[in-house]
Amino acid sequence: MVSTDVGVWIAAFFTIVATSYAFRDNIFFRFAEYTFIGAAAGHAIVMGVKNVILYGWTHIAGGEPSYWIPIILGILIYTRYHPKYYWIYRYPIAFLVGIGVGISIRGAIHADFIKQIAATAKPLIATTPLGTLNNIIVFVGTVTALTHFIFTYEGIHKGAAGWIPKIGRWMMLAAFGGAFGNTIMTRFSMYQGRIIFLLRDWLGIIH
Amino acid sequence: MSMWEKLAAIPREIVLTIVLIAMIVPAIRPFGLPIMVGKMSKDWYNTVDSLPEGSIVLFDIGFGSGGYPTLGPCAIAALHQMFEKHLKIVIMATALEGSMMYPLIMEKVKPEKNYGAEYGRDYVFLGYIAGEQTAMAAVLGDIHTAVKEDYYGTSIEQIPLLQEITGPESFALVAYLTTSGGIAEGWVYQAYSRYKLPVVGGFLSMMTPSLKPYYDAGALKGILDGIKGAADMEYMTHHPGDAMRATDILSATQTIVLIFIIIGNISYWGSRLSKREGEK
Amino acid sequence: MSEVVRKYIPLLITFIVGVIAVLDFYTTVPAIRGTFTVLKNWGIVVTAFALGVGAVNLFRVHGKRIAERGELWPLSGWLLFMLIVFVVVGLSTGKFDASWQYKWIYNAIMLPLGATMYSSLCFYMAIGAYKALRIRNIDSLFLFLTAIFVVLGNTPMFPAALPGFFYTREWIFKTIISGAYRGIRIGVGIGAVVLGIRTILGLERGYLGRA
Repeated sequence: MVSTDVGVWIAAFFTIVATSYAFRDNIFFRFAEYTFIGAAAGHAIVMGVKNVILYGWTHIAGGEPSYWIPIILGILIYTRYHPKYYWIYRYPIAFLVGIGVGISIRGAIHADFIKQIAATAKPLIATTPLGTLNNIIVFVGTVTALTHFIFTYEGIHKGAAGWIPKIGRWMMLAAFGGAFGNTIMTRFSMYQGRIIFLLRDWLGIIH
Repeated sequence: MSMWEKLAAIPREIVLTIVLIAMIVPAIRPFGLPIMVGKMSKDWYNTVDSLPEGSIVLFDIGFGSGGYPTLGPCAIAALHQMFEKHLKIVIMATALEGSMMYPLIMEKVKPEKNYGAEYGRDYVFLGYIAGEQTAMAAVLGDIHTAVKEDYYGTSIEQIPLLQEITGPESFALVAYLTTSGGIAEGWVYQAYSRYKLPVVGGFLSMMTPSLKPYYDAGALKGILDGIKGAADMEYMTHHPGDAMRATDILSATQTIVLIFIIIGNISYWGSRLSKREGEK
Repeated sequence: MSEVVRKYIPLLITFIVGVIAVLDFYTTVPAIRGTFTVLKNWGIVVTAFALGVGAVNLFRVHGKRIAERGELWPLSGWLLFMLIVFVVVGLSTGKFDASWQYKWIYNAIMLPLGATMYSSLCFYMAIGAYKALRIRNIDSLFLFLTAIFVVLGNTPMFPAALPGFFYTREWIFKTIISGAYRGIRIGVGIGAVVLGIRTILGLERGYLGRA
């Protein structure tokens, strides 16, 4: 049975209108697009205010006056719009960049570098011939893909040695093909949720 | 226009309409195809299954409205398994819209009704915490200095589950579902690299190739690979839902895409070969 | 003095905070651990303030468009109206996103729009696959073959008829994709670490913005 919920009808309207862009750009899609942008920005403000209160003001109210520092730094972000004092916003940005970079490089060294090299430096011979072949393909793929990105030594891309980065290029293209196949599945799997919403929650055709 | 050129010039409106029909028909008349569970999903399931009852899991909702059709079913199935195992779950959101996904997911899981779980004792929701990796590091490092209240405004001193957490070692597992590469990498860096905690991750299928190296290296113990992972989890946990229904829609739509790819290549090579023959 | 305050002190802040973050990982000195715990918690608050920057930009851009009666200016007015509606509903009840009113407008407006905007790209994928996924040379042959086998493995109908499609997909992921992407991941990791170290040392200054 068709839904009588106003919210469901509004959601169905926006779903159909947002889909219409795939066929042709139109004013209804523009309306939906502008609605989404405004709503998303409003949502960001609501969550920002909530986080400032929960993770900033609550500490101050609980007897930690040092939390005035991040609140002042946060307010200073908006000095970027001042024609004369715009440079003040570099202070909070420097703080955020310092934390962000420091927090991520320590993990990147371990997970993206050390662990990946350790995983590659394993015995190639497995208990089964297929296992050995798989290990060889993974090893060759890793090494040749890395070689493809060596631009400081041109000799690696010339002559007989040039086959190594070329194989790396083919391995990466094959990998990108697999990724493309997964991308097709991702997009269709996302839209099927809207189809189910329209047929089930809005029109009541399926259950 | 030659026959080959006509094959390559099917109007886009016709292509899109055929794709739309391919989505609607299986939704109305499901095929009921069998599910073949992948190894990555099995590893997620087995990792959670191996946890003793009462273990604390940190569960991150790292997606919003864009990822809900795919990762919503993942979250529902994953939480069904965790509640069935009587695990304790600290739920947080590192995505801006993650806190809006929480009620949508929990109204499907119904932990109180289905599993006798009690909010505050068996599970708690901290809400959205800004900062992505900064938030992860803060929660894992010292949750009591980072968080003062839960999503509903209750002081954490009144939440028994949070009193059980004394440090990162209190968490037996970190599980996350996200559409963001930054969040997916972030949990590996902050939970696995920093504190050596076991981590399982779920993300969109198109992210799987770039994040699979973490699984291969042992940083991720299991992966839920988009809607396919969700369908696998629904199958393994015996909670059929939208993901298993989606597999039928995927069958039809991807078959249509394959047909169009083949038509496109036939027309391309047909034109090329007939041009070459014309030149001879 | 001016350059010290405008440029060098922010670079110093980045350096100090970054070094403390890195030392927290590699040392067990309680003072560093304690300092970094405080910095992390501060970081949440500062990031929360940054969430409003998008809205300020929208007011500037669309406010100007409305004032000058620019292109689609009524829609600009609607955009700012929706922004204000969400803020008012979100902040007026005291429960922020936990209030039923906010959940209602989110589920009616943002959820369908967000879900549909991202997912309607599937139609472009279908058109793109039809028009562009062609075997033109040996390079595209590799891409094409793995794409086809992965799509065949992802489409439940084909493995149901012939399980070999499922195992072929699994094999492609286990070998080709694992190998190539591991190489890419190592390269990306090296790049990220080098860029991070250069940023902490003040050699990368792009984040400071205009001079």
